[in-house]
Amino acid sequence: MTIAAPQENPVVTPAESASAGVTVGIPKETFAGERRVAATPDTAKKLQKLGFEVLVETQAGVGASFTDSAYEAAGCRIVPDAPSLWHAADVVLKVRSPQHHSHIDRHEVTLLKPSSTLISFIWPAQNPELLAQLAEQGGTVLAMDAVPRISRAQKLDALSSMANIGGYRAVIEAASNFGRCFTGQITAAGKMPPAKVMVIGVGVAGLAAIGAAKSLGAIVKAFDTRLVVKEQVQSLGAEFLELHFEEDGSGEGGYAKVMSPAFIAAEMALFAQQAKDVDIIITTALIPGKPAPLLITQEMVESMKPGSVIVDMAAEQGGNCEVTQPGEVIIHQGVTIIGLTDLPSRMASQASQLYGNNLVHLLSDLGGAENFSIDMADQVIRATTVIHNGQVTWPPPKVEAPAPDPSASSAPPAAEEIPTAKSPLSKILWPLLLGGVVVAIGLWAPASFITHLTVFVLASFLGWKVIWDVSPSLHTPLMSVTNAISGIIIIGGMLQISGDITSPMTILGAIALFLGTVNIAGGFMVSQRMLNMFHK
Amino acid sequence: MENNLVTTAYIAASALFILSLAGLSQPESAKRGNLLGMVGMAVAFIATAAISQGYPIQLGSIGLGVMVGALAASRVAMTDMPEMVALLNSFVGLAAVLVGFAEYLQPSAALVGADVIIHRVEIFVGVFIGIVTFTGSMVAVAKLRGWVPSRAVLLPARHVITLGMLGAIAVLGAPFLTATGTTPLMALGAMTAIAASFGIVIVLAIGGADMAVVISLLNSYSGLASAAAGFMLNNDLLIITGALVGSSGAILSYIMCKGMNRSFINVVLGGFGETASGAGQAAALEGSATSTTTGEVVDLLANAQSVVIVPGYGMAVAQAQHAVAEITRMLRAQGKQVRFGIHPVAGRMPGHMNVLLAEANVPYDIVLEMDEINDDLAATDVVLVVGANDTVNPSAKNDPTSPIAGMPVMEVWEAGTVVVLKRSLSSGYAGVENPLFFNDNTLMFFGDAKTNVNGILAQLSTAKTTAAAALSAA
Repeated sequence: MTIAAPQENPVVTPAESASAGVTVGIPKETFAGERRVAATPDTAKKLQKLGFEVLVETQAGVGASFTDSAYEAAGCRIVPDAPSLWHAADVVLKVRSPQHHSHIDRHEVTLLKPSSTLISFIWPAQNPELLAQLAEQGGTVLAMDAVPRISRAQKLDALSSMANIGGYRAVIEAASNFGRCFTGQITAAGKMPPAKVMVIGVGVAGLAAIGAAKSLGAIVKAFDTRLVVKEQVQSLGAEFLELHFEEDGSGEGGYAKVMSPAFIAAEMALFAQQAKDVDIIITTALIPGKPAPLLITQEMVESMKPGSVIVDMAAEQGGNCEVTQPGEVIIHQGVTIIGLTDLPSRMASQASQLYGNNLVHLLSDLGGAENFSIDMADQVIRATTVIHNGQVTWPPPKVEAPAPDPSASSAPPAAEEIPTAKSPLSKILWPLLLGGVVVAIGLWAPASFITHLTVFVLASFLGWKVIWDVSPSLHTPLMSVTNAISGIIIIGGMLQISGDITSPMTILGAIALFLGTVNIAGGFMVSQRMLNMFHK
Repeated sequence: MENNLVTTAYIAASALFILSLAGLSQPESAKRGNLLGMVGMAVAFIATAAISQGYPIQLGSIGLGVMVGALAASRVAMTDMPEMVALLNSFVGLAAVLVGFAEYLQPSAALVGADVIIHRVEIFVGVFIGIVTFTGSMVAVAKLRGWVPSRAVLLPARHVITLGMLGAIAVLGAPFLTATGTTPLMALGAMTAIAASFGIVIVLAIGGADMAVVISLLNSYSGLASAAAGFMLNNDLLIITGALVGSSGAILSYIMCKGMNRSFINVVLGGFGETASGAGQAAALEGSATSTTTGEVVDLLANAQSVVIVPGYGMAVAQAQHAVAEITRMLRAQGKQVRFGIHPVAGRMPGHMNVLLAEANVPYDIVLEMDEINDDLAATDVVLVVGANDTVNPSAKNDPTSPIAGMPVMEVWEAGTVVVLKRSLSSGYAGVENPLFFNDNTLMFFGDAKTNVNGILAQLSTAKTTAAAALSAA
């Protein structure tokens, strides 16, 4: 299924012949107000490094401050309109899911060639009709929102990179709608109290918001149902608000799950209490496949100080705040509620750069231009591909997140059984041998030997117990100390030395004494030297 | 009466040795542990001196020994600690051989019947362990110093040769135990010669990176040699001390083997790395490595919040630990989180990296073990890999066909960006290519580790001074 081999399954083959390169097309986004673009001049260069030819629709990057000439300077070809771009491109990279194109009065879906591949945000769960229409076109579609959240796929994870930007922007929007400074200062003209910011939902966006608010100088508190994020919150210098409640909300893929009613009641009480105190609330709480949970009621909004700001980053999924108007900035009884749904697009230049990099990594994982293929055996690519050659392949077969654990824990027992079955002899051989030796010693050895053996065996076990406690960082000093104490062999030498200097025993003993002393002196001194270096 | 006093002194010394090792469990109590060891040694020495004779000779030997030992201990560089430990191991081995010979020359007249045989067995075994420890350690020193090639040197049919040697030694046991006159002494001498070459052949066949196991093992042997001397001399203090040292070395060898996911037998049989290279080539890697410059690395570090440094033997070879420590101090002063991740088999000796970093004044509480830091790597912005290779190889985890499959490794590839300081793209000791170098988030910083680390350090400090200057100007 590589492009070099157009066989009976050629639909995935974007190029007609093996010699022609694979062309990547970057159309201008059509969604109203969308300023991002799927490739910047910088990422276009990286795409070319992967072997792709890059076509850019004219004015595609203008919203993100990338001019046509910048793209041309990066080696891209500028195409005058959308239809010719979609026609020429084997792979189309977009940000927003296909929309109705008002300029040419055609839906973008109809521009998709049967042999080509579209990569963009799709949201297949929310847009089943779009998915069906795309499938009819017969092409292949990869949804950037379907990239699985596993560590290997982090570099492809556009949701995270966009959420990061969004979280940052949310703080900026809040700051610009807030009548005071974020940072506290005492000046000649009087005292400026620091702003108090509460972040609800500490995912990527929440963390970015905490970081941004903190670096503007605000006092930041954060809440999340997942207790695992507590450390991350604290590492950013924010306070983690805790309910004293035994329930952890960690769900699948790093998202939160729905909590019990008792928990929610406690949580709401906390928010109600905090709402009276804080100046800024930023909510980012989402539960996958469900409308955003309602966390800030109208009553809480009204209890806030006039001039306070709420940024509802979940506005697109219905909002975490009862009075949010998606896409709008409204003022409700003196409190500004920001329900903007295009936060990343408001930082178009940076967002495009990150999204473009996500796409470069994806195309690189797809084999670059030379080995471009959709490898459905790859877990990441399988999950991301929502339509393969006109076949809807979404949702992907469920790979349960905890699944590797049971399989991993069931594998070792299986592995253990094999050797047991293979060599029962070797398993009983050692105990038998050992038993034999013990019996032989018991039968023939003299009593004095047995006494020494007792001491030896007990001391070995004692040593085994004591040494396991030694911190690995001290293993080298441990070796030099054992070097030193094994110099105890001098006792042997000392006892063998007699007054007669010519007797061979004395000579041997003296040499042994010398060697042992080198060990004792050298070992202890070098240990001391090393240990003196260890400090906190 | 006097004898009882000596015995109780020995008991006290044994207890002090045990407390000494127990003290080493934590850096805080380690110095006291070392001190207790010294006290124990002094107690044992004084007690023995009270019942021995020939003081002038003793004094001469001891004076000379203390001088040599003190000189060596104060002069040795921390990078050379593996050699020092190996050398001290060899001394115990040789001393055990000498004690064994001396003991044979003056058997206690009191022994009769089975006791004589047992006594001779003890001597035979003691001398065998002692001489193997001695020659094996000498070869280890030579390898670490580079006097002989550090790669595995394999004789043709070496398994046949070593088995033959062991057979010959066993055969020589019979005349030694039973014959009279000078025959037993000849047999003992012949056995010593064969066992000496046995030690050489065995250690020659073990490659450089397995030296950590070999040194631990020889450390264990040196303990067993002491214990064997204790059996021949009827001395429980020697037995206890030998057993303690023996188990210490055994545990360290075990930890090292586990760190490489290899069985003990596999390491001792040697030859690793020579045979594996074929398989390594088969899994040849595609893709290109991205190389980087000092400026880029400095930028990365300047923008990072958390940095983890993973040192390997390369850092010791390049003597880069002081510059690395200086960078650490500088970054920490800027409020960044800087920590070290130490793989159990990094370096040529257990704990080697820890000692080097301690020498360079790195606080030990930011030097973490692999297991402590592996989970944090995903949340780390920048990982600096300084002269490590196999210990950061992802194929140990991802590629079941890899020769190092299953070996626990530092999962540095999880971090935001990995900067690898290395001379070239060549494969590591295990002969396995490292896919890490070709990852998208890996930057290769080629060249001598010390030069490069110093370069980073220089730019970091100028960046700092310019920033300070700008601040004061404003």
